[in-house]
Amino acid sequence: MKGTSPFVFGVLIVLGLIVFPFYWMLVTATTPPDQLMIETPTLVPSFTRLGVFVEVFSAVPIASWLTNSFIVAAGTTVLCLILSVLPAYALSRFRFRGKAMLALGLFVTQMLPEAMLLVPLYAVFRSLELLDTLTGLIIANAAFGAPIVTWILKGAFDAIPQEVEEAARIDGCSRFDIVMGVALPLVAPTLAATAVIAFFHGWNEYLFAQTFINAADLRPASVGIAGLVGEYAVPIHLVMATGIIYTLPSIVFYLIAQRYVVSGLTAGSVKG
Amino acid sequence: MQRPMSKRRGAALEGSPWTPYVFIFPLVAYLFAILAGPLLQEFWISFTDTSLMRPDAGQFIGLSNYRFIISDPNFHQVLIVTALYTAGSVVFGIGLGLGTALLMNHDFRGRSVARALVTIPWAAPSVAVALIFSWMFNAQYGIFTILQKSLGLASGAENWLDSTTFALPAVLIATVWQIFPFSSVVILAALQGVPSEVKEAAIIDRADRLNVFKTVTWPTIAPTVALISLFTTIWSLRRFDIIWILTGGGPLGATNTLVTELYREGFIYRDLGTAAAIGMIGLLIASVVTLLYYGASRRAEMRARGAA
Repeated sequence: MKGTSPFVFGVLIVLGLIVFPFYWMLVTATTPPDQLMIETPTLVPSFTRLGVFVEVFSAVPIASWLTNSFIVAAGTTVLCLILSVLPAYALSRFRFRGKAMLALGLFVTQMLPEAMLLVPLYAVFRSLELLDTLTGLIIANAAFGAPIVTWILKGAFDAIPQEVEEAARIDGCSRFDIVMGVALPLVAPTLAATAVIAFFHGWNEYLFAQTFINAADLRPASVGIAGLVGEYAVPIHLVMATGIIYTLPSIVFYLIAQRYVVSGLTAGSVKG
Repeated sequence: MQRPMSKRRGAALEGSPWTPYVFIFPLVAYLFAILAGPLLQEFWISFTDTSLMRPDAGQFIGLSNYRFIISDPNFHQVLIVTALYTAGSVVFGIGLGLGTALLMNHDFRGRSVARALVTIPWAAPSVAVALIFSWMFNAQYGIFTILQKSLGLASGAENWLDSTTFALPAVLIATVWQIFPFSSVVILAALQGVPSEVKEAAIIDRADRLNVFKTVTWPTIAPTVALISLFTTIWSLRRFDIIWILTGGGPLGATNTLVTELYREGFIYRDLGTAAAIGMIGLLIASVVTLLYYGASRRAEMRARGAA
């Protein structure tokens, strides 16, 4: 069945639906503000007005928002990877009592609504003085990110032939050395993909940030931008420019790592 | 001691029986501290009158929070809205996902680019999705409104997000736009498992497309579609950002789901005890859905085995 036209037509419709909101963000951001508040919309972006993406930095505290988002995202990534590499290897290579329980537990974490933990975590963080800190957000995010990362890495370790490790084992390397020196380099692409997943889990997270962060200078971009929705203090074209700057990294990195992200996730959900 | 290692693994890979536990300990301890422990605490808080102002000073009040919630007519609306939101997300999210996957499963020029593009809404932050959709739904200058007017469909000047009738459909449109790419990618992966020889043979036999789909394609992808439906259900039960940012659960509770209601009780009305009880009810619903799913898939599996 080679590309018959009805299929191509259908594909184009789907792609149109998918791309349009992003396109509309760009159109809105680059249209002169006096032409936005009229009822005949401008339909194409004006590339001479890309200056809004610079202008927006002085109109909105986006530099501070993005810095905070970056800190949360990077911290979430590091913590997720530290927590996940060894358990993923253990799930892949060892047989041990409680293994099925662990697998089930990781699955259950994906069923838990984050909102359920808001109340008790708020109480715990309050007593540990983690409210209004980026560290608190990192700690909360990693608890939801680490199980996914573990699961995807386990799939990658499964694909490494045992013989590769046996040689190192005979040479007297400890198990820890084997994971770090032999197995981990072999799953580097998947490791990178899980890093991307964990990073954007932290970058996109809104609920915990909205609840636990009060200080304006600690606000990550998700909270800052959510505060702009439906407000008219900041002109809409600048709001959209902010939204684009916040969204672009997610999409660019996702497209770069896409192959591994998708195969990791589908392996997890189709076979898992 | 555990069961003996399988022979394939060989003696060289056997180490101390404690190694696996050492490897998993930090993660398990972490998940207990941040997820399991607080979950138990949530259970306790749901029986107290804890308030946001003094989170440590809650008094045990038995089932009062639950009794209050269950007799509250607003909460009945919350359950209905949650059910509608979840059903809408599953039906349209999976339906569009399946349709897109079937489309992308054909050979056409630019297919790999199309595949990559299809998944980007899913990578976009929910906050950004809410932002763009709230602008598109804007009553005066939003593209939806302008489109409606130019098609002569409505008198216009009504923001869908401010309408008790249209707010839920509007929130669903934004939600489905973001989630259907995920189901399409996963279903597309499952479609690779459809035996192409069988399919080709069926086509040569002039079986019509619908029949091929019913007898060959569907049975292969059905388990995946079922699993994705479960995930979509659970994720809909826990989704917060898109709904909260677009409508805050309003107008008049028209889009108020369990999660937004929990947030509202706990962090707007500052009643953590009631919020915790709502959370426990949400968890119960999610568990029941999951168990029903496992029961159904177990039965389907047994039927398939019986038929084979």
